[in-house]
Amino acid sequence: MTMPPAQGAAYTCPYCRMASDGGGGTCPACGAPVDIRLKVSDSGWIEQPPIRDMAHIRFGHSTCQVSGTYVPVAEMALHDQDSVFFSHHVLLHTDPNVRLGNLPLKGGWKRMRAGMPLIMMTAQGPGHIAFSADEPGETLAVPLAPGRAVDVVEHRFLVATGNVNYGWQNANVWFTTQDGDDEEWHYPLGRTMDTFQATGGNGLLLLHAPGNTFIRDLAPGQRILVQPGGLIWKDQSVRMFLHFEYPHGQYWFSSARYQAKSTWLTLQGPGRIAVQSVFERPEGSGSVRRSSGATTQYW
Amino acid sequence: MDRIECQWCKAQNEMGRTNCTTCGAPLDKKDLVTDSGWAEAPRLRDMTEFRFSSSTCQIEGEIVPVAEIALAQGDSVFFEHHVMLWKEPQVPMSALNTGGGMKRMLGGMPHILSVAHGPGRVAFSRDATGEVVVLPLHPSMELDVREHAFLAGTHSLTYSFVRIKGLANVLHGGGGMYMDRFVTHNEPGLLLLHGYGNVFQKTLQHGEKIMVEPGGFLYKDSSVTMNAVKQNVKTGLMGGHSMYLAEMSGPGRVGIQSMYVHHGSE
Repeated sequence: MTMPPAQGAAYTCPYCRMASDGGGGTCPACGAPVDIRLKVSDSGWIEQPPIRDMAHIRFGHSTCQVSGTYVPVAEMALHDQDSVFFSHHVLLHTDPNVRLGNLPLKGGWKRMRAGMPLIMMTAQGPGHIAFSADEPGETLAVPLAPGRAVDVVEHRFLVATGNVNYGWQNANVWFTTQDGDDEEWHYPLGRTMDTFQATGGNGLLLLHAPGNTFIRDLAPGQRILVQPGGLIWKDQSVRMFLHFEYPHGQYWFSSARYQAKSTWLTLQGPGRIAVQSVFERPEGSGSVRRSSGATTQYW
Repeated sequence: MDRIECQWCKAQNEMGRTNCTTCGAPLDKKDLVTDSGWAEAPRLRDMTEFRFSSSTCQIEGEIVPVAEIALAQGDSVFFEHHVMLWKEPQVPMSALNTGGGMKRMLGGMPHILSVAHGPGRVAFSRDATGEVVVLPLHPSMELDVREHAFLAGTHSLTYSFVRIKGLANVLHGGGGMYMDRFVTHNEPGLLLLHGYGNVFQKTLQHGEKIMVEPGGFLYKDSSVTMNAVKQNVKTGLMGGHSMYLAEMSGPGRVGIQSMYVHHGSE
């Protein structure tokens, strides 16, 4: 679900579409600068500006301050009524009085097999606690209106507010190739995707994305092909499936069966998507034996 | 005569200067400090120059900065050999034996530090995105630095290494942890570090504490004590996992890096 622009507000952030008074230089919901020109590519991608050093984001009774530029740090000043949850390896520092706990997670075996963190920790205010990722990139703030849910590619999650429900599901984007007698399985998006949905009030989701980030709104039925490793998050209303393209070679040994193929992820609107400019090299060459729902093109 | 005090190293500079002559920090920019008191290490301008003894150091680049040192006759710097990016052919080299060979080998630390002597130019850089942190050390200061984080130290620094007991499971998965220790005596010294990601510093008051992810620790004054504190975290499947945080107690400075190496939860 893509949030509609807020009505009657002094300022509506073009990046997160949350309303505010527009003062203070940055959007209080997502930290985006308010005093810069919107950069939109000719094809409709909106360049997400980096959160300015030391910018504040508000949530509940608390604030989040983002500092640094190469590997930004998200430092929360937690009110005693507020909490956040996070994967334990992104914790950077905390006041001793912040109460740390853990969020019960189901499906531990599946999560372990999928390479996902087994431990999701919680932090309850009052006090300061800070988080950072382990690679250069940008911190993305995705404010969630009550009921709004987004799907996030695994390993992009940094921290979320306590009123955001966390779940995970099979990405259901996979294919197999043949290597001798062995069938190789490939998961271009990872085996699972995280799902976040705000409940009760506005929630805040912080992600970390390497490279630069671009967002786009897809109209109903509109499709775009992206590198699977480039997707960061999408609205739940956006459908996704694989698309394979095979080049025809000049000789028999360079035919589609033996040549490297292009593996794309088709995203179909309606809804908003976000991609990052850094992505992993696509894996797997040769023809596909089996796959999740996919389209194919030879050229 | 009016002077400008550098907010990072407290050195006095002539009016009108834009960079500190001692550490290169911009003098015409406000310090960036988070609400909880972490100050960003100054972002050194490309091609910034500063001096130590009779030599100069110039910082080049911004993503993985290079520290290029023009060594004067009589001056020298020591470093781990793999951080040297280039040198002029005529720069004399020697070795600084660190002692504790077996311990250092077990700790994954180099046995021998290289020393470059002036006159001539040498340059250093590390292997990932980050910042060069310039730490001038006044006489009698002692600084403990995460192993493999120092880029170069000037000849007036005394180098040793210390094992931090009680942190055995924290940074090396049971193998113990060593930190480089740099001490100045009669003459000021200069220490260059490379922190991964962004670097932040906080000055703890006497008895003040902060919990730091051990992989994020970069340096501290030796007056700051460091203890491993176990956090018990339960999971439905495996029962429980142990996670350690480093409890830093003041007084003194603590430096952290925002991109860190995570060593697992077991």
